[in-house]
Amino acid sequence: MIVMDEPALIQSAQRGDLNAFNTLVLHYQDALFNTALRILGDDDLAADATQDAFLSAFKNLNSYRGGSFKAWLHRTVTNTCYDELRRKKRRPTTPLEPDTEVGDEMDSPRWLTDPHLTPEQQLEADELEHAIQHCLEALPVEFRAVVVLADLQGLDYTEVAAALRAPLGTVKSRLARARARLQECLQGFAELLPAAFRLNEERS
Amino acid sequence: MNHGDFELLSAYLDGQLSPSDSAKLEARLSSDSTLRTALDNLRATRNLLRQLPARSAPRNFTLTPQMAGIQPPTPRLVPIYRLASGFATILFIITLVINGLTTLSAPALATAPAPAAFGAAAPLSAAQEAAPAATQAPAATQAPALPAGAQTPPPAPRMMFASPLTTGTPISLGGGLMPGTTGTPTPEGIAKSVPPGVESVRRINTAENGLPFPLVLEVLFGILALGFGIMAWILPRSNESSFRKKWNRK
Repeated sequence: MIVMDEPALIQSAQRGDLNAFNTLVLHYQDALFNTALRILGDDDLAADATQDAFLSAFKNLNSYRGGSFKAWLHRTVTNTCYDELRRKKRRPTTPLEPDTEVGDEMDSPRWLTDPHLTPEQQLEADELEHAIQHCLEALPVEFRAVVVLADLQGLDYTEVAAALRAPLGTVKSRLARARARLQECLQGFAELLPAAFRLNEERS
Repeated sequence: MNHGDFELLSAYLDGQLSPSDSAKLEARLSSDSTLRTALDNLRATRNLLRQLPARSAPRNFTLTPQMAGIQPPTPRLVPIYRLASGFATILFIITLVINGLTTLSAPALATAPAPAAFGAAAPLSAAQEAAPAATQAPAATQAPALPAGAQTPPPAPRMMFASPLTTGTPISLGGGLMPGTTGTPTPEGIAKSVPPGVESVRRINTAENGLPFPLVLEVLFGILALGFGIMAWILPRSNESSFRKKWNRK
C-alpha cells in the first residue's frame, strides 16, 4: 500500500486540488470498483458507476465531515449503483451473451486468470465466483449492499451504517438475513464449493 | 432456526455482541449442537464471501480537469479588457447618438439663411463685434438685440465665444434684459446683424467642429470596443488550451 497522508490529501482536494483527489482515487478505485461490480454484476456498468461515484465525490467533497473516508466514498458508489439499477429497471436490456441454465453469464475476463492456479482450479474459482455473484444478485439490493460492504469490503458495522445511512440495528439485521439467504443459495452450488464448506453442509 | 438466533450468530461472528450477550450465546452453543452447526455454516459462508477475489479496476478512474469542471485561472488582463471594451462600447453609443442627432438637425441648418455659408472667419468676427458692442453700447440698444436673436439656443453658444471677453458682458446683458422686457421696439439694424452671427456660431459648433469630431470618435471607439472585446475573448481560450496541454503532459 502506498504511504499517504489521507487527511492532508482530503483537505487539499476540498480546496480544489485535483491532483490530491486523484491520489485518493488511485488508492480507492479498486475497492469502489469491486463494490460496484458486486452490486451491479456487470463490468461496464460497474466502471461507469465507479467513475460517476468519484466525480460526485469530488463535487460533494465539502459535505465530507471527518469519519471514515472509505465509508463516505462507499456511500457515493452505492448511490450511483442504486441510480444505475433504477435506470436498468426502467429500461430493461436483454444481454447479448447467451445465458447458462442457471441464468448466469459465463464469460470470464482474462485478467482474472491467476498464474498460480492450474486450469482446473482456475475454472473452479471462476465458477465459484459466478455462483457467489449469482446468489448476490438474487438478494434484494439493500441486503446485497450490506453484505458487499461488510463481507467483501471488510467495513465494520459503523462504517456500513454510515455508508448506507442506516441505523446500526438495521445493518445488523440485514447482514444476518443476507448471509442466511446467501448460505441457502450457495447450497445449490454444492459441487462448486470448497471442501470445508461442503463438509459443513453434510454435517447440518 | 429463527431469525433472532441467526442475527445473534451473525453479530457474534463479527464480534459485535456485548460481553454479556456473548457469554449467554456461548453457553447455549456448548449445549446446542444445531446452533453450533449453524454457526459453523455461517462462518464458512462468510469466509467464502471474504475469499471472493478482488478485481483490480479495469482502468484508472482519475478525473481530468474537464470532468471535474475545473476552469483554468483567468488571465488578469481579461477583466480589464472586458471593462475597457464595455467603456468603449458606451462611448461608441454616445458618439453614435450625438452624430445621429447632428445629422438629423442638418436639414434644419440647410434652410438657414445664406450667411451660414460664409465660413468661420467673418461671422466669428461679427459675433465678436456684437459682443463688445454690448459692453460699449448703452443698455437700451443692446437689449432689443437679445430678445430678437434669443429664441433660446443662441445665448449658449454666444456665451461660449463671449467668455474670453471682459466680465462686463454679463452685467451689460443683465442690465439690457430689463429694458427689453419693458417692450422697447427693436432697432432694425442691430436686430438683423445679430441673427446671422448667432446662426454662424451655431454652424461652427455643428457643421465645422461638430460633425467630423464625433465621427472620428465614433470610429475610434467602435474599433476599441471591438479590439478589447476580441482580446477578452481570445485570451481565456488560448490560456485554456495551453492549460490543457500542460495538464496532459503531466
